[in-house]
Amino acid sequence: MKEKLTGRLGWAAGVACFALGMGAGTLPASAAEELRIGFLAPLTGPFAQIGKDMANGFQLYLDEAGGSFAGAKVTFVVEDGEGKPPVNVRKAEKLIRQDKVHMFIGGLLASTGYALAPVSTRQKTVYVSSIAAADDLTQRDSAKYPYMVRTGWTSSQPSHPFGQWACEQGYKKIVTVAADYAFGYEVVGGFQKAFEDCGGRIIQKMWPPLGTKDFGPFIPQIKKDADAIFTLMVGPMALQLPKQLKDAGNKKPVIGGGTSYDEYVLPSMGDEVVGHVSALQYSAAIDTPKNAAFVKKYRSKYGKVPSYYSESNYTTAQMIHEVLKKTGGKWPGAEKFVKMMSEIRIDAVRGPVRLDEMRNPVQNIYIKKVEKKKLHGYPQDELWNTVIKTYPAVGQFWKYGKADFLKQPVYSRDYPPCKYCE
Amino acid sequence: MTEPVLELKSLSKSFGGLHAVRGVSLQVMPGDRKAIIGPNGAGKTTLFNVVTGVLPATSGEVRLFGENITGWAPHRRTAAGMARTFQITSLFPGLTVLDNVLLAIGGVRKMKFVMWRFLSSYRDLYEKARGLLEKAGYWDRRDLEVRNLSHGEQRQIEIILGLASDPKILLLDEPAAGLASGESREMAEFLKRLDSSLAILLIEHDMDVVFDIAEHISVLHFGELVEEGPTEKIRASDRVQQIYLGTG
Amino acid sequence: MKSRRNILIVIAALLALAIITPFSSSYVITLITHALVFAILAMSLDLLLGYTGLPSLGQAAYLGMGAYLTAILASNYGFGLGWSFWAVILLGMLLGAATAAFFGLFAIRATGVYFLMITLALGMCVWGLAYRWNSLTGGDNGINLPPRPEFGISLANDVTFFYVVFGFFVFTLATLYVLVRSPFGRTLEGIRERELRMRILGYNTWLHKYIAYIIAGAFGGLAGVLWAQMNGLVSPEDVILTTSVDALLMVVLGGPGTLVGGAIGAAVVTFLRDYLSTLVHWWQYVLGGVYVLTILYLPGGLIGIPERVRNWRVRRGRKAAVPSH
Repeated sequence: MKEKLTGRLGWAAGVACFALGMGAGTLPASAAEELRIGFLAPLTGPFAQIGKDMANGFQLYLDEAGGSFAGAKVTFVVEDGEGKPPVNVRKAEKLIRQDKVHMFIGGLLASTGYALAPVSTRQKTVYVSSIAAADDLTQRDSAKYPYMVRTGWTSSQPSHPFGQWACEQGYKKIVTVAADYAFGYEVVGGFQKAFEDCGGRIIQKMWPPLGTKDFGPFIPQIKKDADAIFTLMVGPMALQLPKQLKDAGNKKPVIGGGTSYDEYVLPSMGDEVVGHVSALQYSAAIDTPKNAAFVKKYRSKYGKVPSYYSESNYTTAQMIHEVLKKTGGKWPGAEKFVKMMSEIRIDAVRGPVRLDEMRNPVQNIYIKKVEKKKLHGYPQDELWNTVIKTYPAVGQFWKYGKADFLKQPVYSRDYPPCKYCE
Repeated sequence: MTEPVLELKSLSKSFGGLHAVRGVSLQVMPGDRKAIIGPNGAGKTTLFNVVTGVLPATSGEVRLFGENITGWAPHRRTAAGMARTFQITSLFPGLTVLDNVLLAIGGVRKMKFVMWRFLSSYRDLYEKARGLLEKAGYWDRRDLEVRNLSHGEQRQIEIILGLASDPKILLLDEPAAGLASGESREMAEFLKRLDSSLAILLIEHDMDVVFDIAEHISVLHFGELVEEGPTEKIRASDRVQQIYLGTG
Repeated sequence: MKSRRNILIVIAALLALAIITPFSSSYVITLITHALVFAILAMSLDLLLGYTGLPSLGQAAYLGMGAYLTAILASNYGFGLGWSFWAVILLGMLLGAATAAFFGLFAIRATGVYFLMITLALGMCVWGLAYRWNSLTGGDNGINLPPRPEFGISLANDVTFFYVVFGFFVFTLATLYVLVRSPFGRTLEGIRERELRMRILGYNTWLHKYIAYIIAGAFGGLAGVLWAQMNGLVSPEDVILTTSVDALLMVVLGGPGTLVGGAIGAAVVTFLRDYLSTLVHWWQYVLGGVYVLTILYLPGGLIGIPERVRNWRVRRGRKAAVPSH
């Protein structure tokens, strides 16, 4: 019996040594001329394809730069966050503790952004939010996250100019149909604020649940006296609503948030979306040589037109590269890096980009109309988000001023209140 | 005047339109050895299930020591002194012989809710289990899982479990079911050795066992008691022969 | 004799874990802590599944209750960040128990697959609350907790937090071990083996199952409090069906009706989920394969392996001993 007991203890010791071995395998904290970057994206689950687009964008830039930024060899570690905030947190901890990354990038959903930002504070590690757009990360909660930089957008950022634009088109009454979660509230909220400040009226707000495929219960309720319909869809929802609106005989103009028509969903759509208008900081149809080159490179490598998911991460890599150029390839430390990053001004694929003092991009917002045409020298007719108006250098506070804007609560299901709904 | 241990007053049970038990009345006095016989489908097991509370009665009464227990749950009846065994062996197959008996003893004790000390620390419980198992010759096999015992042995453990709650009346549902003839004689001997103050009501198919043990027999046919009396009388009854043995 | 030897092995393993963990890398420490929290949840479920024979698919509900309670108290009221941490532990267990007491009224009447379905549905109710009750739970954003409690010791330190969780793990293991060997615990096994007979023997089996269900809920709540502190975030994703299924699989994988099996299962699943997934993208197939193989070839779970090896050796020894003809 004693022999058996020692045998078991031997096993336990073996396991323990293995555990120690895993520890010993990790890298020293600051090897010279190496930049370790962790990347979090959903690689399994319903958002897996978007996750791949995100990582591909970053990878494309890295490949162009020859795998190193200003002499610093880049180690790029991609982890699967499964689209779930708690998993993202655990994977971020892994990247920081095991891979000793200098920074981690990514996170798709707003909820993931809210989950990852505190990790950066806790671990004093830089977090670059390239996609997750939750407003408050760089607004009311910004002070809590000193190690966070955003290179993407805030959800309401394109909505403000878009509200203005809709008003200028002469729309007086608009109905909104938007996915029932925080991102939807923020996109609709920004649009409502700007639209109503200009004299328009939101007369009805509908909130189908995230993932709705059958809009049968919602479409007949849309008020007949509306001048236009504003939608905010994500993923498969985006494909269904335009079809079902058309089948229901809708004649009203349809406009929407950027994700309703971004290049991720556009190739799967049909002619029913032609003429629909949306707003975002990027369109694959931007008519600049820089963008045309980017689209061609990306498309030849990955077989599809890049969406903002890819462009945003491509630009993120470019911005990091710019910082490293200034330091001569040396990692400047987390605080310094954040400071330097917020002073970067670049001419990105999407247009000029700089960061405001709360570390959110100030950038062009494009009003885009879906058109079927040939572009960038491709032979076949395809759907493109043709830019019809550009609002230059739009910040997250639009024309409201930072102080006034931050006095109002974050956009939600109940804010701004629907004054003209009855 | 002594009170009957168990009294059934026109007890009935129907399943929809099927009247499985109709108006059965019966008295069991302390120390009585009574048997209920009848062909397959006569309603014997249903009657047992109603008496022990596994099935609710449709009408009529069950009285235990004069108290009306018709609506009681099975565990309350056990606490009041009624125990039963099952025709199909219902032991705890994955537990040891000793654990089976300990569970049976614990059923009527308050300590069954104790969570903060080991069961093995209850010496009196152990001694009682030991007594029961030694008498039946199973003490040396107490750590065997019950599923590893033979069928005949499991039938005996079944009865030991019935005895563990110190019942005043024991209802035996075909104790010799599935036993070879030598084993069933052994079973009959085993039953005869039980405390003579214990009232026994049994259902049995094996007539040798019945005639050996019971002093008084009731005959159940299509849910009704059609004949009852001392063993000798029933043994001689033509009607019983007809019912029970077909045409006889 | 046999059980004494097993206890010694478990104590030796626990000591080894307590001594070695602090010397591991910081990521391994968090992995082990993570596994310990889930081990508590798995052991609470084992009380139902392994001992009472109740296959609950809703154990995440109690974890969720404990976790959300912790997060709401901490972020809205600043409660539980000092010595009051211990009060939160107690409250979490009470809330888990109270929820189970309420859910049990619906669930305990059912058996087998119906019990499975009802517990699943009740678990989904908690998820629905977490997801929809925006003002309290933060909806799909969840709740971020302030830094971990500090009371003389700082739980923000990974090693300290590991020891605290380790302590709760040992407490849970010891408490449940005494429980399953108590008279009450043995009645649960009787119910698992043959409930009808238990009723005839004088047990109110409904009450016994109900009590077991409440106790399991309390320990689920404990796991929830620790889980919230571990991640610094509580999200509806924590309460989703996957968590309940994970807990169930941990128990089945490790070996139901052994307590320690649940802990082993928790360690294996955590390792595969959180570490293997960082190495290969097909880790889910590995996890699935492990489940299928265990269920097919190791009905007693991983903990049954030493027994099997011993039997195999004995058989081989016997064969070798037979002289050849």
